[in-house]
Amino acid sequence: MRAAFAIAGKDLRQRLRDRSAIVVGILAPVVIAGLMSFAFRGIESFNFTLGVVDLDHGPVATSLVRALQSPQLKSVITLRRLSSASVARDEIRRGVLPAGLVIPAGFSASIAGSRPESVVTLSSDQLPIAGDVTRSAVQSFVSQLNADRLSVYTALAAGAPMSDLSRLASVAGKLRIPLQAVERPVGAQELKVISYYAPGMAIFFLLFTVSYAARSFFVDKSEGMIERMRAAPVRPAEILVGKALSAFVFGALSLGVIGVVTSVAFGASWGAPLPAVVLGFVLVLSVVALTALVIGLSRTQRQAEGIASIVVFGLALLGGNFFFISSAPGVMKHLALLTPNGWALRGFTDLSTLGGGLGTIAEPVFAILVFTAVVGAAAVALAPRAVRS
Amino acid sequence: MLQVGRQESSGYVLECEGLAKSFGDRRAVEGVGFRIAPGEIYGLLGPNGAGKTTTMKMICGLLRPDRGSITIAGRQAIGNIDVRGLVGYVPQDVALYPDLSARENLQFIGRLYRLDRRTLAERVAEALALTELTERAGDRLDAYSGGMRRRLNIAAGLLNHPRLLILDEPTVGVDPQSRHAILERVQAFGRDGLAVVYTTHYMEEAERVCDRVGIIDHGRLIAEGTRRELVAELGEHDSIELEASGNLDRLAEVCRSVPGVSTAAAADHSVQIVTEDGRSILPAVLEAADRSGCAVTSVDVTEPDLEAVFLHLTGTALRE
Repeated sequence: MRAAFAIAGKDLRQRLRDRSAIVVGILAPVVIAGLMSFAFRGIESFNFTLGVVDLDHGPVATSLVRALQSPQLKSVITLRRLSSASVARDEIRRGVLPAGLVIPAGFSASIAGSRPESVVTLSSDQLPIAGDVTRSAVQSFVSQLNADRLSVYTALAAGAPMSDLSRLASVAGKLRIPLQAVERPVGAQELKVISYYAPGMAIFFLLFTVSYAARSFFVDKSEGMIERMRAAPVRPAEILVGKALSAFVFGALSLGVIGVVTSVAFGASWGAPLPAVVLGFVLVLSVVALTALVIGLSRTQRQAEGIASIVVFGLALLGGNFFFISSAPGVMKHLALLTPNGWALRGFTDLSTLGGGLGTIAEPVFAILVFTAVVGAAAVALAPRAVRS
Repeated sequence: MLQVGRQESSGYVLECEGLAKSFGDRRAVEGVGFRIAPGEIYGLLGPNGAGKTTTMKMICGLLRPDRGSITIAGRQAIGNIDVRGLVGYVPQDVALYPDLSARENLQFIGRLYRLDRRTLAERVAEALALTELTERAGDRLDAYSGGMRRRLNIAAGLLNHPRLLILDEPTVGVDPQSRHAILERVQAFGRDGLAVVYTTHYMEEAERVCDRVGIIDHGRLIAEGTRRELVAELGEHDSIELEASGNLDRLAEVCRSVPGVSTAAAADHSVQIVTEDGRSILPAVLEAADRSGCAVTSVDVTEPDLEAVFLHLTGTALRE
């Protein structure tokens, strides 16, 4: 196996000197993951300014405004008081504000009467979600208000004296509706965008190892280097192992550097080190098997490059390296589980959200190893022929 | 097969017997056999497609023969990977990495031959000194001239101190000065006791460096011997070289019809003719040339050489 180490060492030396390999293997994934994280930052930290027009100035209107400033909504809604509905409409039309709320005069008084006054929500086409959030918050307040009214009415109907009205209203106001729909992530932590795109891009560019290593083999072949190796006391298997070893080391190095850089620079979470390393290890192993298969299937450098491109982009698209697979149609979610990169992404996101150790990645690791075994068996059957021919 | 002066004693470095190799329906080599003694430089001559590269690849272990045997330094070589450590292979095209330095290339190739660290350092230094590249050992190969790369290509084949060196057209595309240096080096290999198989298209190279020559054509070894022995086989013959312009195939055909001409064949910018008496037949040849419409620019009548032998045996010029 000394020859295999010599071949791997030589290949690594050449690859580390090749600036394009450093760009593709390390710089590009880090930069693209950073850019994607920046572009999608709004998803994980959504907030907007709501223009509020209080024409009522009564106690209920004050309560509504206070509800919109509650700690639960503070990080989402910033209030700005406006003088009139027309000012609110104008600012929304000009895109200054994404949404507005108009509390009509007599709103507080209407609560006790039979003729209700409606709160008006104004929203823009540019950020309709702001209008939805406002409507939802107001609806929640109104539901609470109606519940309070119903409680007081029930007490009065049951014989409570009218003189107790304000005390009953105060007691009812302190009661909260017990059942609320609250959205919480399944894992212990929410998945940050960078924690998805950092492994997503790292894996995508790791797949380029297939193309690079296969091309390197056929360049060696066309320039007579494989023949020179074979004229020495070197077995074809040693040549393939040497090539595979260099692809493995460079792939692992690339994945490791990207992991450290995106964690330190962008705060990406790859999970606990040991399971992340194990997952990365089996993933790189699957990439090496794919490389050997591409070499085995190809006869020329051009063929190898063509097959490698199909493999890289096909797997990246199916595996969900470019988009959140959780938001993809069901078929895509199933197809992702046919790819090693799809399983690896799932493993890394599980480590990021659920935490835990090796148990968290047991399923992805097993699936990737099965993929590697199948592809590797095909490669073992085909690749030695490529060395001899 | 014409076989002259064949050595019968034991102790050959290379012994090939009845080598045969087919690719599909095409027979590339059929029944080729020869032996090479230590210190002997053996020229394997033949046009493209004659089977010499296939023969060389079988000796190097790059192709497995369909039939026949190869023995290197007394050890059966087919399928025996360890025997390859006794062979130095210098491919026709420079097979070195342009993005590595001369030293890195040599170190890599030395490691393929399982040289230990100390021996590797010694052999690399030796190879660099041999090629006079010690001063530039750290430079990447893409900064080297073609001649320097060729020299290094040969030196890489010597790193394992082989018993048998195989040189596949080592002077193709080399400037005259480098070519001269390479040929001198090859002759020195022979003096140092190394057995060398040397293939070439250039007959003058074979005449200069080879102790014995094997002529291979259509996959068969059709003649073998020293230059003197092979030429003597022609008997009292002369060689006429007509340099001419025009349809040289037509000129060769017309010359073949001249009484006394044994063979004639077009090659490069000339027609090679073998005849029993060059001087007496020359007027008739020139008259024939005139009839063919070709313009003869020079005529050279010489004693027979390997080119004439090749033409006589195969009916074609080597560089046709």
